[in-house]
Amino acid sequence: MKYLIEKFGKINTSVLFLCIIFLILELIGHRHGETSIEDILFFPAFFGYLSCIIIFKIGVSLRSFLMKDEDYYDK
Amino acid sequence: MISSFPPGLIMMIGALLIPFLPHIIRQIYMMVLILISAYALTLGFGIHSKIDVMDFEFIIFQSDTLTLPFAIIFHIAAILNVIYGAHEKHWNQHVAIMSYSGAAIAAVHAGDLFTLFIWWEATAFTSVFLILASKTKRSYKSAFRYILIQVGSGMFLLAGAILLMSETGNAEFRNFDINSLYGQLIFIAFGIKAAFPLLNGWLQDSYPEASEIGTVALSTFTTKLAIFCFAKSFAGTEILIIIGAIMTFYPIFFAVIENDLRRVLTYSLNNQLGFMIVAIGIGTELAINGAVAHAFAHILYKGLLFMGMGAVLYRVGTCKASELGGLFKFMPITAICTIIGAISISAFPLFSGFVAKSLIMSALGKEGLVFVYFMLLFASAGVLHHSGIKIPFFAFFAHESGIKTKEAPLNMIIAMIIASTLCILIGVFPSYFYEILPYQIQYQPYDFSHVVGQLQLLTFAAFAFICLWHFKIYPPELNSTVLNSDWIYRKMIPGILLPLLNLINDINKKIEQLVEFIFMYIRKFLANTMIKNKVFDREVGQDTLIVVQLFIILLIFIFVWKIYL
Repeated sequence: MKYLIEKFGKINTSVLFLCIIFLILELIGHRHGETSIEDILFFPAFFGYLSCIIIFKIGVSLRSFLMKDEDYYDK
Repeated sequence: MISSFPPGLIMMIGALLIPFLPHIIRQIYMMVLILISAYALTLGFGIHSKIDVMDFEFIIFQSDTLTLPFAIIFHIAAILNVIYGAHEKHWNQHVAIMSYSGAAIAAVHAGDLFTLFIWWEATAFTSVFLILASKTKRSYKSAFRYILIQVGSGMFLLAGAILLMSETGNAEFRNFDINSLYGQLIFIAFGIKAAFPLLNGWLQDSYPEASEIGTVALSTFTTKLAIFCFAKSFAGTEILIIIGAIMTFYPIFFAVIENDLRRVLTYSLNNQLGFMIVAIGIGTELAINGAVAHAFAHILYKGLLFMGMGAVLYRVGTCKASELGGLFKFMPITAICTIIGAISISAFPLFSGFVAKSLIMSALGKEGLVFVYFMLLFASAGVLHHSGIKIPFFAFFAHESGIKTKEAPLNMIIAMIIASTLCILIGVFPSYFYEILPYQIQYQPYDFSHVVGQLQLLTFAAFAFICLWHFKIYPPELNSTVLNSDWIYRKMIPGILLPLLNLINDINKKIEQLVEFIFMYIRKFLANTMIKNKVFDREVGQDTLIVVQLFIILLIFIFVWKIYL
């Protein structure tokens, strides 16, 4: 635990623990989604994690052609 | 007949007195104006005021279950704006905010399209001063583009209203058919103000250029007025589901790479409008409630986020992520309030965003719109990324920027605390909030599935961000301009038109030269004929004249002969 906090920081470790708690909660109770696909075990967790990574990846790849100099419109 | 004064109108008229009042009295006076305006909301539903002008009946004050929630939140926002801007000693922005909010409130109560058009344009002409208030070259240019586009949207509305009037004999502000031409014109007018895809450039262009007070006011009224209009006139129009889904989706990527945190919030605003538009497109009672609830909650938490960034801008002079960081220790209250706004917009349980967004997601689930549902779920993770984490993290934490400053002024803090409290109260007591929505429905946002599902989605999305940052995969923020749809009219069209104009100019010059050459040649030719022994030589001129006269007489003879014989 101490190692994890040292390596990963207090806030980050707390978020990690929250993630684990919410996964355990699903095992205790019965979660169902608005659609049948969401009923898959830990679906929201996977979806949230992957979405964030995909958003980041696409965002970074867009940098090359959407990002211009700060004075682009003033030139 | 005017049986009662329309809400908002008193604020517009009253704003004229603001320049003549001393600072403190002015603040109290503005509060009183808003409260008087709000009093009209107690009159109940129905048509309260009409004016007859040249056989046309302007319905200037009508209210129903849809107008009420918008009127309530617009008044609350107006009060928050007055408090937030109380440190500003000069009157110009106060006049603009008071008349702008008044125009928006009056527009919500319009019963016909011509009355709506008047207030529609009034919101444009009053709000532009909030952009000009920054007094920078960029803001002047941006304000010019803003007013052109806003007035342009009004022209579509007016054209639609006139066409409707000519076809049906009245211009009642009601539900319209998208398949009619007037319906399409009105749809475009609303779409411009709602910042539809490719029509959204003005939003990201102008709002971040406004003053710190101005952006808070701007984020409240214009776009939400458009949402109200869509809910009133195009509920259940299926194309809105597609447009809304696109709106939730694409601004996320722009927000991720944008460096100016206020501009990030405008992309986020665009994304949130998408949720509302999708809900209006579904059109069921649950969905319309979702759209209205989302607009209501959004005004509070987005206003709160803009207030937080406005406070940073006011104290530090910049809102660029690349230049900020580590401000938490100097501005802890601002930071905490911004975090509450960020948690609310991310739709964490017990905050306003959750109880509003759940309605929309449930409506989508009930209608079986699985693909759109997952687009919005993906967008929810995106909201957490750019508004929930990026905004507070880069402003108040991230790295040490070396900036030393102090906490926001007291009035700003009060406004932020009130907005934060409302965000929490709505999240904790949703049943009271649902009571003001247009339709009375039974809905429980806090069930095990909703709460656990949402918490998993958000915490894991947050964990993904943490991983990216911790392992230094997340690239540094850079001073830059991110291209948006305004590029079309700021770069592309001038880029095509200018060479084209130059080409036309060149051709024109060539033609001029050619004509001049021909003219000179003829002149030279004629001059040559005048010299000695030529046909027009003065000395032989008399004989030539006789020949010419004879020739003309011959021509006249032929002409007469042809006609009469």
